[in-house]
Amino acid sequence: MGKAPPITNRVKQLREEHDGMSQQALADAIGVTRQTVIAIEQGKYSPSLESAFRISRVFGVGVEDVFGWEG
Amino acid sequence: MSFREKSAWGMGTLMVVTGLLWVLHMDWAFSDDHVHVFEIAHFFVAVIILSIIIQAVLAVTNRGEARKPADERERLAIWRAGHWAGSVLAVGVILSALVYGLHGGGASNLFNGVVASLIVAQFAQYAFQIYFLRKGM
Repeated sequence: MGKAPPITNRVKQLREEHDGMSQQALADAIGVTRQTVIAIEQGKYSPSLESAFRISRVFGVGVEDVFGWEG
Repeated sequence: MSFREKSAWGMGTLMVVTGLLWVLHMDWAFSDDHVHVFEIAHFFVAVIILSIIIQAVLAVTNRGEARKPADERERLAIWRAGHWAGSVLAVGVILSALVYGLHGGGASNLFNGVVASLIVAQFAQYAFQIYFLRKGM
């Protein structure tokens, strides 16, 4: 229980590159809570495929540009 | 802290407080072998009323979040917490049945054991929710 999934992401970096988009703004854009965005950025939660696509669309990049596999 | 976590803290605290009060005042339950349905009913009614008050206060103080449904991470945390709480309830009920089968003690003891298992399982559900929401899944 509580083990971090082996999936990396660049959500925080992309957010900062997009005029310092806030966590709340991203959360509202993809339909989750701010705490879920925080959990994704900290690697504590791997989003669903739908949310992963929503995040990549917000940043205008491909899913593989946001998420990766550790190692 | 998210609305779901605040709710879990509130309800978990309620279960601990009411559970302890129930344990402290259950000496009547061991005085004879009758199942005290009315006393138990009073306890559950009190828990329901206090739950409504807690949820109402949380909804008023967190209007924006309270209106929104749980998101995917929260739903998963609630589902997993329910799964583990179900295991806690199963263990409690089996232990109560074993104690009743091995030592006897009357039907009221079995009844009280099952009620205690319900209270502990309900508390465990909220504790697991907080754990999964904080530590991740």
